[in-house]
Amino acid sequence: MQNSQPSGEMVQGTLDMLILKTLITGPAHGHTIAHIIERTSENVLEVEQGSLYPALHRLEHRGWLSSYWGTSENNRKAKFYKLTPAGRKQLTTETERWRLLVTAIGRVLGENTLTAPKVQGEEP
Amino acid sequence: MKLNQIFRRRKEDSDLAQELESHLEHEVDDNLARGMSTEEARRNAHIKLGNPLVIRDRVWDANWLSPVEDLWRDLRFAARTLMRDPSFTYVALMVMALGIGANTAIYSFLDSLLLRELPVSDPASLVVINWHTKTWQGDSVVQNISGSISDDAKLGKVSGNFPYSALEVFQNSAIFSDVFAYADTSDVDRLNVSIKGQAEIAGGEIVSGGYFNGLRIVPAAGRLILPDDDRVGAAPVAVVSYAFSEKNFGGAAAAAGQNVLLNNHPFTIVGVAPPEFFGVDPSSAPEIYVPMHANLLLDANDPYGFRASDYLDNRYYWMEAMARLRPGVTLAQAQAELAPKFHQWVAATAKNDEERSKLPEIVLREGAGGLDTLRRQYSKPLYLLMILVVLILAIACSNVANLLLARATSRRREIALRLSEGASRTRIIRQLLTESVLLALLGGALGVLLAVWGIQLLTSLLAQGPDGAVLHAELNWHVLGLSAALALVTGILFGLAPALQSTRVDLVSALKETQAGQSSARHHRAAWRVNMRQILVVGQMAASLLMLVAAGLFVRTLSNLESVSLGFNRENLLLFQLNARQAGNNDAAICEFYRAVREQLAAIPGVQSAGLARGSLIDGESTVPISTVGTRPQPDTRYMPVGPDFLTTMQIPILEGRDFNEHDRPRSQPVAVVSEEFARINFPGRNPVGQYLQLWKDEEQRNLARDMEIVGVAKNARYGSLQREMVPVVYVAYDQGYPQPNEMMFVLRTLGDPLSYVSQVREIVHQADARVPVSEIRTQKAEIAGKMYQETLLAELCSAFALLALTIASVGLYGTISYGVVRRTGEIGIRMAMGAPRGPVVWMVLREVWILVAAGLAISFPLILATSKFLQSLLFDMKSNDPLTLGLALAILVSVSLGAGCLPARRASRIDPATALRHE
Repeated sequence: MQNSQPSGEMVQGTLDMLILKTLITGPAHGHTIAHIIERTSENVLEVEQGSLYPALHRLEHRGWLSSYWGTSENNRKAKFYKLTPAGRKQLTTETERWRLLVTAIGRVLGENTLTAPKVQGEEP
Repeated sequence: MKLNQIFRRRKEDSDLAQELESHLEHEVDDNLARGMSTEEARRNAHIKLGNPLVIRDRVWDANWLSPVEDLWRDLRFAARTLMRDPSFTYVALMVMALGIGANTAIYSFLDSLLLRELPVSDPASLVVINWHTKTWQGDSVVQNISGSISDDAKLGKVSGNFPYSALEVFQNSAIFSDVFAYADTSDVDRLNVSIKGQAEIAGGEIVSGGYFNGLRIVPAAGRLILPDDDRVGAAPVAVVSYAFSEKNFGGAAAAAGQNVLLNNHPFTIVGVAPPEFFGVDPSSAPEIYVPMHANLLLDANDPYGFRASDYLDNRYYWMEAMARLRPGVTLAQAQAELAPKFHQWVAATAKNDEERSKLPEIVLREGAGGLDTLRRQYSKPLYLLMILVVLILAIACSNVANLLLARATSRRREIALRLSEGASRTRIIRQLLTESVLLALLGGALGVLLAVWGIQLLTSLLAQGPDGAVLHAELNWHVLGLSAALALVTGILFGLAPALQSTRVDLVSALKETQAGQSSARHHRAAWRVNMRQILVVGQMAASLLMLVAAGLFVRTLSNLESVSLGFNRENLLLFQLNARQAGNNDAAICEFYRAVREQLAAIPGVQSAGLARGSLIDGESTVPISTVGTRPQPDTRYMPVGPDFLTTMQIPILEGRDFNEHDRPRSQPVAVVSEEFARINFPGRNPVGQYLQLWKDEEQRNLARDMEIVGVAKNARYGSLQREMVPVVYVAYDQGYPQPNEMMFVLRTLGDPLSYVSQVREIVHQADARVPVSEIRTQKAEIAGKMYQETLLAELCSAFALLALTIASVGLYGTISYGVVRRTGEIGIRMAMGAPRGPVVWMVLREVWILVAAGLAISFPLILATSKFLQSLLFDMKSNDPLTLGLALAILVSVSLGAGCLPARRASRIDPATALRHE
């Protein structure tokens, strides 16, 4: 934690949502997923790789992702993750919740920088 | 864990390992593309990913664990956590072990006392037949009773004794498959047993012919008593207990068929009872069973013994009865069936309307546990002890909960980290609960070890009492089950609050905390946590005070009992019983035997004097109608037949006249010595010496037994109970007619240890008459201690428990206050930096102690008053709200808690402002 800036901290529950979101465009393997999240957030969000794989497996375990082994763009063997219909639904739910939260916090804070809010992340 | 799960896990794991490896390779590719060297690219990739093994573990944690594997991991993790903080673990384990150990030990006694069933087949179908009546005063069909009557809050007077003819009423009821009776009247209770010329005293019981069959007992050898043995004129037979057969014949098989003398009459031992059988009363284990009608033989030589006419007397209540319900019959049905039949029978024995108005009525009780004499006597003290140990456990629990709360605070960062990594709240609560339950279970296991030791200790303490031999306990499966349940429940109880609380942390602020410091943000949850700790401490204080008060009351009761003035000197007295009557002697031979033995005993070097009396002064009391000439006998006048030098030997001072001496013989002028109290009541302002007293054979003063001259006045001495007022006593010569001499207690005043004279005593008695055994050898001091042993036990155990409670509670208080000081180090540092002197800082800390203690006291005072009624009957010569005891308990509690609070307060006053502020 020490090396990450407060603004880049991955808040509990958000990583799951970001993974689901990333996979909406098609299957990807773990390394790519981390890359896409960091790149699309313009390097504001930093995926702690130690948390990435537990999250991927958790999502797969819940039936939101499925996986298969394939060959990567680097011509290496890699495990690809694919969004399942249940995962698609879950993404919608999470996104809605997130929007609601951001709007609410935004109302409270106005123009201020957003410090990482606490998400009451009860796992379903 | 199932086998296929293991294989699945292996496969998944290697899969994951490959996946992570693939991730590293991609990262290295990227790094190389960024222009790093191969070496650098590899290192950075590894740093970025972290330890793959840890990741693999976390994946497993989150997703794939089976419940059992999960538990195992939780346990391993819990064990590691506990080992990381050994001082916390040791304290918590010790506290739990003490709490659970004390509970297990006391409960094992309660269990054996209350739940043990008779070792017979189908004990549940046995019933004990009792009668009860609301009023007892005046004329009653119960004209004569030998046995005990107890008081019952609902039923009034309750007794299990019946006339012999009532047995027929019970037997004629179709609800019972068996009805049987037993008794231990006069000369049966302590039988003179002579085996091959060696005489000894053994506990006997007379049983009806259906007794053994009704209980479904199978003999260890030979046969048991049959209905045909129980009639007048049958061949005299006896059955002995298994222990008796081993002690005297070397085994059950050898005992069957032996001939013995019982009270000087030949009997044949026809069989041996099984080893586990102890009769139907757990408080007494008879050694010899004889058919009921054999009591005519056993009592033949006793002028006051049981006679054939007593079997026909349906107003003499002496025999106890039990029955076995027929299959399918309930206790209530039996009660409804039997009550009117008995009523009809008993109504016919009434002689007038008053008797008819208060006839005894049948009440059936469950007989599975046998008779409840022991239960009546010990259940209250044991329940009390049980309450105390439960309080100790409560204190122990709240203490461990307190420690856990304190620890939970220091673990907030760890827990927040795990929550942020996606572990669910239930998952972490379960982990924390596993820790506390593991702690409690380990504590429980240690507690059971402690309990083994505690049971031994308690057994040895109880063995000093009158019923020591029969009160024993063991660890059986329900005792162990209770301990395990206690451990589990307490583990969950003391773990739940801290677990719930520590998982409700605000992640961000918790994570921002530094390793050692506390969050600078003071939010309401922190305040609540402190309150929770304080509530626990207040509870502990309240419970401790309650226990201190109980201990104080019992200690004071014991010291009141010990300081009771006896009126005689208890030191250096040897007591024992001789019964020349049972050996078959007549009145003249009995008197001559006692006279000769006393003379020889008095001549033993080192024996200062020897006396004899009907019984020990503090062991029961008796009355006969005695009056001054021309007055009515007063019911509270006690009498005591004694021999020469008894008063001198006991060192009861003679105020006027003289003690009995050798010249007071069977045919000389009957004499009496009266107590000061008797003289005060009957001869106010006059000297009783030279006056006459009359001893009657009946209350109606129709048959004069003795016309006695008062030859002396003795100073008041304790007679009967230790706990009552001094009563008026008339000492009479034991050998001057009615009531004729019987068993006597001899007393020797010795130089040095009284017990060192025992072998000489035995030798003298054996030489005088080998048929007369010396029994119940004891010192006067030990006998008195035995009378107070229940009080001694309560005082000792309560004090020990109170001490334990106080220790645990003060550790808790110390912990809470210390924690408070550590938490406020910064604040105190600022205050001191601003120039606050040490005094107010100390006061600030001590004020918290005061508040906690005061709150505890406020809670416990009403509790103390509420329990006072329960304690009152166990106290002697004091009120349950004794101000001295209350004051003392308060003083102890306050000073101990101030002591516990002083250390942290001192530490607070020595806080160096500079260090404290850096710390912040």
